[in-house]
Amino acid sequence: MQRWKQGTSAALVGLGAWWAWAVWHAPLDAVQGVIQKILYVHPPLAFAAYAGFIGAALAGGLFLVRGNERFDRFAAASAEVGVVFCTLMLITGPIWAKGTWGKWWTWDPRLTVTLLLYLAYVAYLLLRSFTEGSERAARFAAVYGILGAALIPLNYYAIELFGSRALHPDNLERGSLGEGMGLPFALGVFATLAAFAFLLVRRFELGELRAARAEQLARVAQREGA
Amino acid sequence: MSYVLAAYVVTLATLFGYALRLASEARALREEISRPRPNGG
Repeated sequence: MQRWKQGTSAALVGLGAWWAWAVWHAPLDAVQGVIQKILYVHPPLAFAAYAGFIGAALAGGLFLVRGNERFDRFAAASAEVGVVFCTLMLITGPIWAKGTWGKWWTWDPRLTVTLLLYLAYVAYLLLRSFTEGSERAARFAAVYGILGAALIPLNYYAIELFGSRALHPDNLERGSLGEGMGLPFALGVFATLAAFAFLLVRRFELGELRAARAEQLARVAQREGA
Repeated sequence: MSYVLAAYVVTLATLFGYALRLASEARALREEISRPRPNGG
């Protein structure tokens, strides 16, 4: 197990180094210049955040159907890791905005829905932290997580839906990247999703350990009370 | 260039810090779970 962890950590570092090399050597954008290089980190962070929230919704659904607490713990882990990536998306986005639009934030439809999505899952984590261990709260969190995931398509298609009112650039499509920009972007997506998977496994393991420890303490308390 | 560096440094430092926090709490919990108890708990 330890060797597997070391192997995956080393592979991630190697992948990150390859990505950094590709970003460094990527051609400069003719319009935006060097600031456009944030493209290789900002959308991949969004994809990882989406993956976290979708994972929370799916695991929450499985918990409702099967009643297995491990699905509930997976949902909590996935939402937390998703919030970490969403936080970073909300940091890198304004940095890019400041460099191109001249301001950190604007109430553009995409940005507004992203903030809503973020706050929805921060509230999910707060709810879980206040009601830890409660079966009823776990069921409520599962339904909340499923409903929260409905914001993801709204977030992704916000630009198409709100048309000319959107300041945020369009979603990337095949062929929309300039020559030499495909590799750093693909590596960015791959490395970010690999980091997401790595952290999700680690966070799920931590949830399992917390549950095992709580069970152990409950057994001791029961024995001492008897 | 400083904006680009800030975006990448904040991202990498946050992910690395989060991974360390998870590893540290997991290590502490493993030690607590495996620690032998005088009352056998």
